[in-house]
Amino acid sequence: MLRSLRPIPQLCPRLCPPGPCPARCQPRRRLAVPPGAPRLPLWQRLCVAGAVAGAAAAGWLYVRHEKERQQRSRRLQQLRRLALGQGDFQLRDTAGAARSKADFLGRWVLLYFGFTHCPDVCPEELEKLSRAVELLERDPALPPLQPLFVTVDPERDDAAALERYLRDFHPRLLGLTGTPEQVRAAASAFRVYVSAGPRDADGDYVVDHSVLTFLVDPDGVFRDCYGRSRTAEEVARRLSHSRNGHLIAPSVPRNGLG
Amino acid sequence: MAAPTKAERKACWGARDEFWQCLDSHGDDAAKCEKLRRAFESRCPQQWVKHFDKRRDFLKYKKKLETEGYSPPEAAGKA
Repeated sequence: MLRSLRPIPQLCPRLCPPGPCPARCQPRRRLAVPPGAPRLPLWQRLCVAGAVAGAAAAGWLYVRHEKERQQRSRRLQQLRRLALGQGDFQLRDTAGAARSKADFLGRWVLLYFGFTHCPDVCPEELEKLSRAVELLERDPALPPLQPLFVTVDPERDDAAALERYLRDFHPRLLGLTGTPEQVRAAASAFRVYVSAGPRDADGDYVVDHSVLTFLVDPDGVFRDCYGRSRTAEEVARRLSHSRNGHLIAPSVPRNGLG
Repeated sequence: MAAPTKAERKACWGARDEFWQCLDSHGDDAAKCEKLRRAFESRCPQQWVKHFDKRRDFLKYKKKLETEGYSPPEAAGKA
């Protein structure tokens, strides 16, 4: 078969003179297989074709994977640049210590906005958050995880009220409160809607608010948010994905952020 | 007025669930479930009672949309 693929020098003019062509100008079918030459069996030829196709597919998949990885890395760099000075807060924890975002750098933070007089949503979301943290803590390779609760009702939720309330949930869930201005600033930094309802005769009221748990990475970059529809298992899984994505792009040095 | 504790929350939710089950089995006839309504109102802060009443209305409306489909309200000045 290979013999028939060798280029054959053109000995004849393109147009034959009238009359029968000389013997050497007989048109030859170059790819005609001379009789008796061995051919590869069909299955071997299919294997070769399959291997070529497989190699092409693998090459394409690799290129696509690399491209996605680079896109993720670029996006993370952009988010880091945006994060500096954004999504920050100045609040107090239940021990009275001043806390800002910088205090939690180096840890993955799960942050939920709520209030202690909440009828049903906040307890359910905090149960879910606690369960997600428990699931994630089972992985010894996981970097430190800090669950945070920020009140949207600073008038009633002082340090003592928060501590009482949060006792029922994960032991490391840390409550943050502050002056109404500080809380308002924190909520707006995370684009959280907050609206206190009308007071009744007892002075009781509920606070309407966005129900979201935010994920912030160890560099202080907002990475994900989880709403009512996510289960604890989904939150844990998505956090693991974010963490794996985080390992791709190197961290910015923290010297300037301390 | 301190926020309800975990035990108080559970008691309130339990009373609410019993009341709602009664309503479900009596076709939302509140008259048949007076006793449970009073228990519900005594175990939950007033704000929560209002909140859960609204929630129930919403859940019923949602169910109605899912089963019957959405029909826009009749407008007064229809063309």
